[in-house]
Amino acid sequence: MKKDEVFTYLVGGKAGEGVKKAGTVAMNMFSRMGRAAFEMDDYPSLIRGGHNFTVVSTAADVITSHYMKADLLVLHDERSYAEHQSQVKPEGIVVYNSDEVGEDVRGIGIPMTTEARKYPPNTMLRMGVGSVTVLAAAIGVSLDQLEDIIRMEYPREVEKNIDYARAVYELIPSEVMGKLHLERGEHTSSVLTGNQAAALGAYSAGLDIYFAYPMTPSTSILHFLAGHTKDLQVVAIHPENEIAVANMAVGAAFAGAKTMVGSSGGGLALMEETYSLAGMTEAPVVFVLSSRSGPSTGVPTYTEQGDLHFALNQGHGEFPRIVAAPGSVEETYYVAAELLMLVWKFQTPGTLVLDKHLSESSHTVTIDPERAAWADFSSHGSGEYKRYTITDDGISPLLFPPSSEVIKWNSYEHDELGITTDKAERIAAMHDKRKKKLETLTAYMKTITTVNVYNPGYPVIMTYGSTTMSVLEALRAGDIDATVVQPVYLRPFPVWEFAGYDTALVIEQSSTGQFATLLKEKARVDSEVITKYDGRPFDPQELASRIKEVV
Amino acid sequence: MELGTYAENTWCPGCGNFGIMNAVTRAVKILSERGVGADRLMMSAGIGCHGKIFDYLRISGFYSIHGRSIATVEGMKVANPDLKVMTFVGDGDAYGEGLAHVLFAAKRNADITVVVHDNKVYGLTTGQFTPTSKKGFKGGSTPEGSVEDPLNPLAVILETGATFVARSYSGKIAHLADMVVKAVEHEGFSLVEVLQPCVTYNDTYRLYNEQVKILEETPDTLEKAISTARIQNPLYIGVFYQVEKPVYHKELYGGGNPVRDSLRREERINRMRNLLPI
Repeated sequence: MKKDEVFTYLVGGKAGEGVKKAGTVAMNMFSRMGRAAFEMDDYPSLIRGGHNFTVVSTAADVITSHYMKADLLVLHDERSYAEHQSQVKPEGIVVYNSDEVGEDVRGIGIPMTTEARKYPPNTMLRMGVGSVTVLAAAIGVSLDQLEDIIRMEYPREVEKNIDYARAVYELIPSEVMGKLHLERGEHTSSVLTGNQAAALGAYSAGLDIYFAYPMTPSTSILHFLAGHTKDLQVVAIHPENEIAVANMAVGAAFAGAKTMVGSSGGGLALMEETYSLAGMTEAPVVFVLSSRSGPSTGVPTYTEQGDLHFALNQGHGEFPRIVAAPGSVEETYYVAAELLMLVWKFQTPGTLVLDKHLSESSHTVTIDPERAAWADFSSHGSGEYKRYTITDDGISPLLFPPSSEVIKWNSYEHDELGITTDKAERIAAMHDKRKKKLETLTAYMKTITTVNVYNPGYPVIMTYGSTTMSVLEALRAGDIDATVVQPVYLRPFPVWEFAGYDTALVIEQSSTGQFATLLKEKARVDSEVITKYDGRPFDPQELASRIKEVV
Repeated sequence: MELGTYAENTWCPGCGNFGIMNAVTRAVKILSERGVGADRLMMSAGIGCHGKIFDYLRISGFYSIHGRSIATVEGMKVANPDLKVMTFVGDGDAYGEGLAHVLFAAKRNADITVVVHDNKVYGLTTGQFTPTSKKGFKGGSTPEGSVEDPLNPLAVILETGATFVARSYSGKIAHLADMVVKAVEHEGFSLVEVLQPCVTYNDTYRLYNEQVKILEETPDTLEKAISTARIQNPLYIGVFYQVEKPVYHKELYGGGNPVRDSLRREERINRMRNLLPI
């Protein structure tokens, strides 16, 4: 294939057949080839059976989304074949499991199940090894190289996996062997999901304890950190419910720990009372909101940006809120670090807005931990301490126990020491202090990157969060020279960066155009809106056509 | 040691909370003499009449929200286990709004002390029935009398795995102070239920003065402790149960301390480099 061409690999099968793992292995293979790659997993909310697919797109230079049209498809069963065989590109190859898919169909049949049964007991998981073998053969990986890959990626029952891979490799016909040769690229990258990037970003900035109750699609942050408590020296705690999660995090912050919590919309709704508590007590905590298709239980394993207004308005009452929405996996790493820094600098809660597509998709990224922010804070020197000392910038120095000074954080309106008050002048003074802090925060935001602007051109497209990845890839796919304006921070909204824009084409994954409403309200930008709200992320080619229709 | 503050005390004259605060003040002084200094003794409180103790005591801590102050101190303890933490909660607060936190803190043997101001009524919201109110309690939300039987919190909490459970009475300050000292010194989850009259909405002074009886000996089995907790007359006060069990934070991360041992930036960068590329 030509150097700038996109190659897409799609594997479909039942849950439990190692479909997602095949995608991960493909990502690692492409990454080791120095190529850029992007993986999207599509799976229903069940443990065994059903239909899963993973789609991995790769290019030698840059790629920021998967594509739905594939060069190589490996389909484990009848249902996968029916759903995906039409997605093959004109010159592409469909390989199917001939034990499950009927005769007389287009493509190349390999008896994957028959072969797998020769290597019990985990015959189901063996299917994924078969799919990786087909990929390796098609892109010209030798049997010896494949053996190394399997040794690294499938260490459980490794010899059986190798024997199975060899058997499948032998069955692959010449019209597939080496037919989809891929150039090497020049990247040195890591493969991370957005959730891993969020965890590592917060860690780099000083995260000590992560509290969470499992909820898709945020759960893998908890799993990732719980799996790295020893090598990273971090604590991951799974309490009884989200309300305990948020309140423990605030209590831990009182004791001086850098804390983060995470959930999806339903869990954040339960934490909301504590979000307000963090605002009042001036507790620094990062809340990760990884949205899924809603409202309510919604569609747990599918994506949507329908929680935008919810995210912007977490917690009752008036206090400074910081809301960040990174637009790529790499940006998630740096913004998670920066948000932990900001909540500590300004002693107020912050929300990191992700969604299923950003949280769970994998991307080849280059991470430089030296560039991550560090969560520092204003610290009390010596002498008498008052938790809520009124200062010029609204920020009161922090002091942590043990201390001979009395340190009182209070959910009631309070005086400077932290004692409850209902006195008129004190109520107003504390409101003024929190307002002053918001002004200081807003002034600081003007000194950091709050909006990304990509490519000079026409029209002006405004988007945010995970949709940024889809939009940038759509511009490449459709050869469109449009400017992309992507606010990374949504509250305080960076109005100062929007002075030159009156109109825009807004692209977002919601049914009512919440982002367009925000742009109108904050930046007076009139817009046409392209929306998508069927739980699936945009396909770049489909999005490119829709952009061209509007323009 | 002066533990008072300048905050104006707004409890009703004769409120049981005065007895509890006097006992806690005494306990804090005793604890200080016995090595638990006020510098590392933290408190939190829920929302209700009981919670005002936060403003009246010169003790560091966190005035939490209704039902959640147990989670607040669990967070403090797990962040810095060198701290001793106690939380003051109400019966509506801890047994209604926040019951899950009580049970799970007991289940995981979180090393915290819970002092329940159990007056069997919501006072600050002007007299409604709570989880521990007698059936038939007449209040603003149940003018004809509540139709629910009360919860027996001590029996439930004992069953959940609490490693220290005691009861005392706000009218017996020396006894209550002793219970609080024992609870704070206990390593693991400790709960002291305090029988507390509410002079305005549920005046139980006469009842408690008649029925409260000191438990001479701590029951030596969980079953006996639960049986004792079920007895309604006399109302025993004393330690119902105490047992040693590994505490939550040590089970979680051994002898570490997340705040004290928090890694500096350079070390985190090194560890990130070891992890990446992944």
